[in-house]
Amino acid sequence: MIKLENVTKIYKGDIAALRDANVNIDKGEFVFLVGASGSGKSTFIRLLNKEEEPSEGRIYVAGKDIGSLNGWKVPYLRRNIGYVFQDFKLLPNKTVFENVAFALEVIGRPAHVIKSQVPAILELVGLTKKVDSFPGELSGGEQQRVSIARAFVNRPLILLADEPTGNLDPATSVGIMRLLDRINRTGTTVVMATHDRGIVDTMRRRVIELDKGHIVRDQSRGVYE
Amino acid sequence: MALNVRYVARETGTNLRRNFSLTLASVVTVAVSLTLFGAALVFAQGVGNMTARWKGGIEFIVFMQPQASQEQLDSVKSTLEDNPEVKSVTYIDKAAAYEEFKQLFARSKDMIEAVDQEAMPPSFRVAPSNSDADVIAALGQQFEKKAGVREVVFAFETVRTMQRVTRIASIVIVAVAVFLLVAAVLLILNTIRMAMFARRREIEVMKLVGATNWFIRVPFMIEGLVQGIIGAVVAIIGVQALNWAFDRGLSNNRDLKIFQGFVITGGQMSFTTLLLIGLGCAIGALGSGIAVSRFLDV
Repeated sequence: MIKLENVTKIYKGDIAALRDANVNIDKGEFVFLVGASGSGKSTFIRLLNKEEEPSEGRIYVAGKDIGSLNGWKVPYLRRNIGYVFQDFKLLPNKTVFENVAFALEVIGRPAHVIKSQVPAILELVGLTKKVDSFPGELSGGEQQRVSIARAFVNRPLILLADEPTGNLDPATSVGIMRLLDRINRTGTTVVMATHDRGIVDTMRRRVIELDKGHIVRDQSRGVYE
Repeated sequence: MALNVRYVARETGTNLRRNFSLTLASVVTVAVSLTLFGAALVFAQGVGNMTARWKGGIEFIVFMQPQASQEQLDSVKSTLEDNPEVKSVTYIDKAAAYEEFKQLFARSKDMIEAVDQEAMPPSFRVAPSNSDADVIAALGQQFEKKAGVREVVFAFETVRTMQRVTRIASIVIVAVAVFLLVAAVLLILNTIRMAMFARRREIEVMKLVGATNWFIRVPFMIEGLVQGIIGAVVAIIGVQALNWAFDRGLSNNRDLKIFQGFVITGGQMSFTTLLLIGLGCAIGALGSGIAVSRFLDV
């Protein structure tokens, strides 16, 4: 599903965020990216979404070499990739329903599809009672559920999550992880960057550890350290 | 790219409302510049119609009797052509004279109905090689007594002044209008930039969930186009109003007889209207095009 071949990413000023990375992630896997701040976790995720271009090497997503993808095709790549952020990135002037519907609307989905899919996904994330609330009226955990609903409403093949529990307390984080686990069980590949030792150690999934841009560990059913 | 008309209309409407004062500024600037532009054009057309027969250095016209014989016409013609003081002669036959008459008196239908083509005097338009007023007067007067000649009409000094003033005025007005058009483009550009800034979070989310670049761009481009078109419509109303006021004020003024020939034909007005709409679209498209390509990183 995801393959990195000798991928190096060097930012301006010779700062290497990723060095000669080789990774193969199969369909349906759940992968934790761990490492200190600045170790290259976010770069790893941004490369998969083609927000960044690798300096060297090739990246395959869903069988396609995304380095050779034309600019106008990038939106179609992103329709196959859900994206969840630490800071949620919800639109404050739209309700929960509208925030999720927006993701379908802007990729041209017809109204009847939106009407049936949005309530279904909000039920999955457990927010049926909050459809008409605005993000400012929700707790952090609820906001992250909306963000996950938005990322998953289009049923992407891959879900990328960049520190999704970074702003949440441990109890709320457990709920979010249960949700991501549930999404993973539907066959969606999940790649999650995190600092949260407790989560990684409890879930016991594949762990890729990065240190100054190098992959120093790639372990199935791993722990944080 | 599956553009949803309702979505685009809603987004464009929201943008226009959100930056109402800037939108208004753009529309007013477009309207004022295009009104000036249109008014200058219409005025030049009107003066052109009014002084059509005095174009190209024509200083006097020898009008023949409508019933003048072919020999009389030939005689006057050859005398004119053989005169070394004459640079060029143009013969206007009855049909051409009637066409011109109809344009000149387009405002008075009963006048046109009262006259038919046979009653029109054929004429010779003469451009002398010497521009000295006395020489021209002497030259023209030679023909007043010739057989078949009805009268010799000299270009009024007012016609010459009119042509000169109109030319200068048109250039000045158009120059001002062009500056305002540039201002209008910049204002539209800034309005759209503000709209993009206000929507930066939405644009970010749209990019991440896979909205196509055109889907993101189109509402902003339409926003600029709408501003240009509204401005053009206001300008068209303005030009029509000015034309109407001019018509009432000057053309019916008996002391300024020359303005009775000041007439804008329907064709010329349609041309001006289309031109203004076209310019409005062009300004809007240019402003939003620059804004979208420079400030929208999609």
